[in-house]
Amino acid sequence: MSTQNLPPDTQVLVLKPESEYRFELDPDTALAIKLVRGKAEIFGAELVPGKYYLFGVECKAAVFTWKGCTIEISPEPSTEYDSEDTPMRAYGNLHIALEKMRVRSLLSLSGSSLAPGESQSTTKPSDPPRVLVIGPANSGKTTLCKILVNYCVRAGQGWSPILVNVDPNDGGWAVPGALSAAAVHDPIHTYSAATSLGSAATTAPMSLASNTLFPLVYWYGHADSKRNPKLMERLIRNIGENLEERFDQKPENKASGCIVDTPALFSSGPAATAEARQRLIRACVDAFRINTILVVGQEKLSAEMKKIYSKQLTVIKVPKSGGVVDLDNTFRERVHSHQIHTYMYGTNIRPPPGIPSNLVFVAGEPNSDFILSPASTTVNIGDLSIFRIGTEAMAPVSALPIGAKRVVSEMQPIPVDASLSGSGLLNRVLAIMAPFNPDENERYDEEVLDLTVRGFVVVTGLDLKAKRMTILKPNRDSIAGKTAVVGTFEWLDE
Amino acid sequence: MSLYSQNYYGQPSYGGPTYAAPAPQPGYQYQYPQQSPPPQSHSPPHVFIDPASFRRDYSSRLDQLQFNSRPIIQSLSFYAQEYSRYADIVAQCLDSHIRKYAKPEGITWDSCGFCVPPWMKLPAFYLLDAISKNVYDPYARVFAPFVIPLFLETYRLVDDNTRSKMDEMLLTWRTGAPNGKELFGLAPQMAIERGIWGDQAASTPLLYLSARSDLPQGPNQITKAQVMSELNFALQAKERAIQVNPNDMTSKHHLQVLFQLRGLVEAGVSQDELGQILSQLRGLVRPPPAQAPPAPQAPQTQWPATQFAPPAPTTYPPPPASYPNSYSTPVSVKSEPIAPSVPASAETTIPTNQAHLHISSILSSLMKSGLVSGSAVEVLKESKEEPMEQEPEEEPKPITPSAEDLNAIKNAQADYRKRILAERMETSLVENSIDDPTSVSDFLYDYLSLQCQQCGIRYPDTTLGKKRLEDHLDLHFRQNRKLSQNLGRGHDRSWFISVEDWVHEPLGDTPSKVRMPRVKSARVKAAALVEKMERAIDLESRYVTIPPGDEAKLVACPICKETLQIEFLEDEEEWIWRNAVKKDDRVYHATCHAEATASTSNLVTRLKSELGTGSRASTPEANSSRSTPPLVRARRSPSRSPSSSPSKLVGVKRKVEHEDPSSIAADHTPPLKKLALSQL
Repeated sequence: MSTQNLPPDTQVLVLKPESEYRFELDPDTALAIKLVRGKAEIFGAELVPGKYYLFGVECKAAVFTWKGCTIEISPEPSTEYDSEDTPMRAYGNLHIALEKMRVRSLLSLSGSSLAPGESQSTTKPSDPPRVLVIGPANSGKTTLCKILVNYCVRAGQGWSPILVNVDPNDGGWAVPGALSAAAVHDPIHTYSAATSLGSAATTAPMSLASNTLFPLVYWYGHADSKRNPKLMERLIRNIGENLEERFDQKPENKASGCIVDTPALFSSGPAATAEARQRLIRACVDAFRINTILVVGQEKLSAEMKKIYSKQLTVIKVPKSGGVVDLDNTFRERVHSHQIHTYMYGTNIRPPPGIPSNLVFVAGEPNSDFILSPASTTVNIGDLSIFRIGTEAMAPVSALPIGAKRVVSEMQPIPVDASLSGSGLLNRVLAIMAPFNPDENERYDEEVLDLTVRGFVVVTGLDLKAKRMTILKPNRDSIAGKTAVVGTFEWLDE
Repeated sequence: MSLYSQNYYGQPSYGGPTYAAPAPQPGYQYQYPQQSPPPQSHSPPHVFIDPASFRRDYSSRLDQLQFNSRPIIQSLSFYAQEYSRYADIVAQCLDSHIRKYAKPEGITWDSCGFCVPPWMKLPAFYLLDAISKNVYDPYARVFAPFVIPLFLETYRLVDDNTRSKMDEMLLTWRTGAPNGKELFGLAPQMAIERGIWGDQAASTPLLYLSARSDLPQGPNQITKAQVMSELNFALQAKERAIQVNPNDMTSKHHLQVLFQLRGLVEAGVSQDELGQILSQLRGLVRPPPAQAPPAPQAPQTQWPATQFAPPAPTTYPPPPASYPNSYSTPVSVKSEPIAPSVPASAETTIPTNQAHLHISSILSSLMKSGLVSGSAVEVLKESKEEPMEQEPEEEPKPITPSAEDLNAIKNAQADYRKRILAERMETSLVENSIDDPTSVSDFLYDYLSLQCQQCGIRYPDTTLGKKRLEDHLDLHFRQNRKLSQNLGRGHDRSWFISVEDWVHEPLGDTPSKVRMPRVKSARVKAAALVEKMERAIDLESRYVTIPPGDEAKLVACPICKETLQIEFLEDEEEWIWRNAVKKDDRVYHATCHAEATASTSNLVTRLKSELGTGSRASTPEANSSRSTPPLVRARRSPSRSPSSSPSKLVGVKRKVEHEDPSSIAADHTPPLKKLALSQL
């Protein structure tokens, strides 16, 4: 291959060892990167030389190399620079330390003796790593989680760590407002801001397991974790219980451990919310039996955590990357919209001009595989039983008159009648829930809170006269007779 | 010399005489393709590798194919797939690569077979085989012109063992095309088979090796050896299938029949019977010639004659080595040679007279109903004994590692653990070691030096690592194939899994391979049932217009013998037979006919895939899924509206207008229940 064959606007960049090339994409632009020589990774997922990797949907990422590499970039993104100041050494060391915990845990779970000469560490040696990552907004928590998970699955030991996302502001594998957990088997590739944690399963054949993840999804329904902290806590505990049950199935599962990504609000916020924050952190620590807390880039928080938890677990302060981008609310909103769009329609990044489409890969798969076709259908309003958890406008307890109690608890499922005007269902995202317990005797009032989500639909049309509504759903399976829960997310299908 | 024109493909005539009576002298060359390179195809719009450097690259990669290495073969065929616009170049590279070793200078023909290392040619043929089966278009077309001389020439040069492997490969070519026909077309297939087992054998060096033809035969006769060779091929495949799946009663049954057939052939049978046995055998292995184009294909009496006995049964080779075996199934069958053709084996398995009884009944049934339909009936009968469970999609079989593998896995893990535990780093130290160098890249890159060139996943450079990489590449192969079959069908987001499935997600050693079989198989099963329902509805809505004057006639379906239901279509103002199709001037129940054809093709499909489990046939995995009928959507209107092109649906919202409650209910009833109801 000679240089005259390069597509137009291509720059060739040589990266020094332990440096990274950072880029930020504007909306509606795409970028293709090809590794020419050396070895490189994007947030822990290795690139194969000679392939064009495609990025789009406002992706912000970095190509890092441990030993130096040469990459081709086309076309030039609006923001790009390379940096030798990365926290990767710390993250690498962290990975080694976590691997040690996994190996020890597996050895003790399978009853083998530790290798001779192994020094006993301060933590209980047989615990697998159960890591909680906290930190302020825009500190790179999700990225750190992704790097640690990717390194773990690349070890070649058959690990399948559980990545847990309890940040409702980030949709994870579902849509924003969801809390989810998935076992990761293959490295997660970064290619779009809407799929920061990989892609949930579709009917398309995928060769990388990280593109067909099977998440366990619960529906919180709001972007703000302060809005209904009790519900949040309950969902966290639900995930934790299932996680424990899963870990008990196989020693390798258990030894792989889990890594929990949290919302920024866990770590900072107005003083009034301090108690709620602490409660949520405590809920995570208990539910996931956390033994390691990583505090990304905030001294004050790490001191606070050490004070509270240092007796029962290890608190580690890790540096934040200089590459993190300060994200404003409008960006977050755009990402929310992208995520719902991606859930329905998949990802369709048009390769930049000059890059042949047959040589382009998205996350190691052919580009076309990420395009999905949702279905639109009209159903009778009565076909779905829709609930809302708590009231629509929930005043904080502190704002209520002294001595007054809520008429409606924030945990109470309230039926929503879509046929009444003012139901506010138009353009709302609904979570379609798993069926109730088939055994009548096992049912209970708030069961809908503990159901997992099967999928998400959006009400795209509401005809009150005909008592019918139009619904956009991810596939053509019928949703009649299902239970749905509405949150506060709205989405317009453009 | 035969009905099969060598100009079938519009190529220069180098028919039988040219290759089949080659002057047995050194330096003999074929004039055909390479010397005049095929016209360079138009250069495609986005060329990144120019043809010259592609040629250089490809042939240098080919040179690495010195031994039977599946990773190399796979990566080369990936490469060919990616650059299918350079099919001509790939073809030329392959051809000259094989010939490079096939034309030693200054060596006489008789010594050639021993001085040319056959293992250099066989892998190249495997590559050719893999490319043309997996990337059928355009490669099979491009290879077809030169595959005949190449195959025959090579065949003459190699030793017995390699020959038998080539035999096996050749047999898979008969049905290697995605439509179940000859991989390179009828004419080349015939030409090669004739060249090997054919009438010109006297002039080939083969005669030196196998001058022990015990049955002097005239023209238009089938050799016993040819039948034996095909029989043995089928037998070995069956035995391997049984080894893999000891509970496969059908395979066992087939094996018995095959043993009986072999015993019969060995005991000596008439020419007539030989022909029938052969056709019976082929009927089992290949799909019924329902839509085969030219008539001369099937009747075996026109199958070429021969005057020599090709590799006699006793020299028949053990099952092929690791390459074909592991090709389709990750199961590591350590297939020890199964004493292929001890002459007494038939007697030891089944008393001879009993075998004769059984066989003669087969033969008589064959004669009664004519060969083709006879075998179809046979197939039908057998398929009735089958459980109806047909996996619609071949799932990777769970890995059952051998003790050796387990040991290797254990050692590799122990190594890794030792290394990790030897590291100084601890969680308690991380905070103070932020700038300390880390050994993480050793673990992530250096210790894992094998890398999948598709997705970047790494494996250690050990025997175990290689095996895992192979398994992993198999996965890519399957995905690529699924993808090419799915083109234009459109994908959608699946529902999330239930708590139970999430908790119990089974994990294999290489988890990406056995991904959620429970969920998947449940889904697949449900989908298959729904599809069945939809097909049934579609079939029942078909009708045949009754020819004028026949309205009063009672017509019975030839399959179920029940009379066809007569209806008057208001819209068309015509009398029709409901649930009917017309085939060959006979009117069948649409459902009966579909069932009959489906079960025939099912058996063939299964047989083929069974043959595939251990043999060269593995690369054509494609057939099994290709032969499943395309999805038929339920259409309530009896009119056969043309189906819209599904490719238009990609990325577009599908509008399902007014899903009324009744159709919802129909859609929503659990398929199993629906099926149960419909069967009442």
